[in-house]
Amino acid sequence: MEELYKKLSDCIEFGKINKVSPYPPQMKDQDGADEITKQLLDGGASADDVLQKGLIIGMEKVGIKFRENQVFVPQVLMSAKAMDAAMKYLKPLFAASATARKGIFIIGTVEGDLHDIGKNLVAMMVEGNGYEVIDLGTDVKAEKFIEAADQNPGAVLGLSALLTTTMGNMEQITKAIKAHNANIKVCIGGAPVNEEFCVKIGADKYNPDPQGVVEFLNAMSA
Amino acid sequence: MTKKEVVKMVLDGKKPPYVPWDCKFTIEALEKMKAHYGHDVDVEALVENHFIKLGQSSGFKIDIGNNRKKDIFGTIWDMTHEKDIGNVEGLVLPEASLDGYEFPDPNDPILYAGIEEKIAANKDKFILYSIGFSLFERYWCLRGMENAFMDFMMYPDFVKELLGKIADFNIAVIKNVCERYPEVDGIYFGDDWGAQKKLMMGKEVWMEFLYPELKRMYANTKSYGKYQLIHSCGDIAEIIPELIEAGVNCINPFQPEVLDVDDIMNTYRGKASFHGGLSTQKTLPYGSVEDVEKETRHLLELGKEGSYIFCPSHATEGDTPIENIVAFINIIKAQKAAAGY
Repeated sequence: MEELYKKLSDCIEFGKINKVSPYPPQMKDQDGADEITKQLLDGGASADDVLQKGLIIGMEKVGIKFRENQVFVPQVLMSAKAMDAAMKYLKPLFAASATARKGIFIIGTVEGDLHDIGKNLVAMMVEGNGYEVIDLGTDVKAEKFIEAADQNPGAVLGLSALLTTTMGNMEQITKAIKAHNANIKVCIGGAPVNEEFCVKIGADKYNPDPQGVVEFLNAMSA
Repeated sequence: MTKKEVVKMVLDGKKPPYVPWDCKFTIEALEKMKAHYGHDVDVEALVENHFIKLGQSSGFKIDIGNNRKKDIFGTIWDMTHEKDIGNVEGLVLPEASLDGYEFPDPNDPILYAGIEEKIAANKDKFILYSIGFSLFERYWCLRGMENAFMDFMMYPDFVKELLGKIADFNIAVIKNVCERYPEVDGIYFGDDWGAQKKLMMGKEVWMEFLYPELKRMYANTKSYGKYQLIHSCGDIAEIIPELIEAGVNCINPFQPEVLDVDDIMNTYRGKASFHGGLSTQKTLPYGSVEDVEKETRHLLELGKEGSYIFCPSHATEGDTPIENIVAFINIIKAQKAAAGY
């Protein structure tokens, strides 16, 4: 079984979705995340073990390689697709059992901004690292973030913005969240955003890359 | 000396009498300028830009109602939030296949509408025909962005086929432009490849899929003796040598937040020119007038020996205080006047 966990983490790391997927060429005709996850579960592995020993290990490697410019958006999206193939078996099991994931992360692109690639990359990597992700989509108002946070006590919020013109909305939303409940943790990211801006608007953490979000969440849940 | 001649001096690697410029403004920024300068102000005349762009930088679109536009490739654009370019809605090619899809006609009159009049009215300016969304961006507009990125990995043959057809279309348009309008000085290719750090798709993918078609398009432009200027947002430092090798004369928008403006100017001066440089992520929206003046003067100093055309590193956005807009416009015009032009 240990060998299967290793194969699964390789599938996530290298973006092998299933047996018929032509990518990556060096894994042609091999089982992918879809088949291996099913084999593990059929063999008696718990959903939690599949997540911990397969997905998280693979996705953590992807996050680090993305941060270090060894892989780029195409490869990360392929890893995310491989993860989705595994998660389709795991999610019903998580929902049906008391197995707790590491925490809940609520993410959205702020009001006025429709950019979602960066947000989606963060959501995929956070989910692949063992967290439940609630994706509120794009153009998200403060009230929607607050409502989601109230429904999921202890969840961490992630706010994304690509435009300087929507950074003002990020500030207003962060302040509205903190005014509602100062204990809600808010992390921010996006091309024009930086540490200085994070401090200015009263957010808890700025992360320049998805792996930074994972590390922040890991530190919060430790 | 005309504006056209000054720009050509820069692109030819010569020292110009002053640093030329070409600055663009979003609709919201233009509203601020009208409120400041007067609602009947002619912004182009006020700014004294050195380029005139023919064609359309973001594609040829017709209004289809409900705040939507449709371009000649069939892509629907929702103009509700982003009023200058819009946001793509839906997928023209939901599958990695061109079955049933018909490319637009490069002889469509919409591509050349109003060109004679614009040329006649702007003979002193450097005349560009603009092809926006010229390769990768056209690809993802048709396939959706996430699909586009994954297609590189999943369907490499299809990616090459579609990119080849996009390039074929552009090459046919450029042929028409160059043959019909000899007054045109150059072609302006827009196509975003850069992220805040490195290329979105990575250099290896860019080299395998995009560079061969870019080289083909650029070689075609060169065959007509035209200059070629390109635009790609983001950190594209690692591909500047390849762009120069392929015959690119000028690179925009030269974002100072992601590129070392001084180092790049000093490294490539005489081999390529750079157009842009004034921070639109930090200085213009958040800096003081003094910050804007300082950065503008630094860029003009950097460009006084040539290889540089001034502008903000994107169309100036509506979050820029009007005082900051006025500040850089005044400085660039003053340096021209001080040079006796």
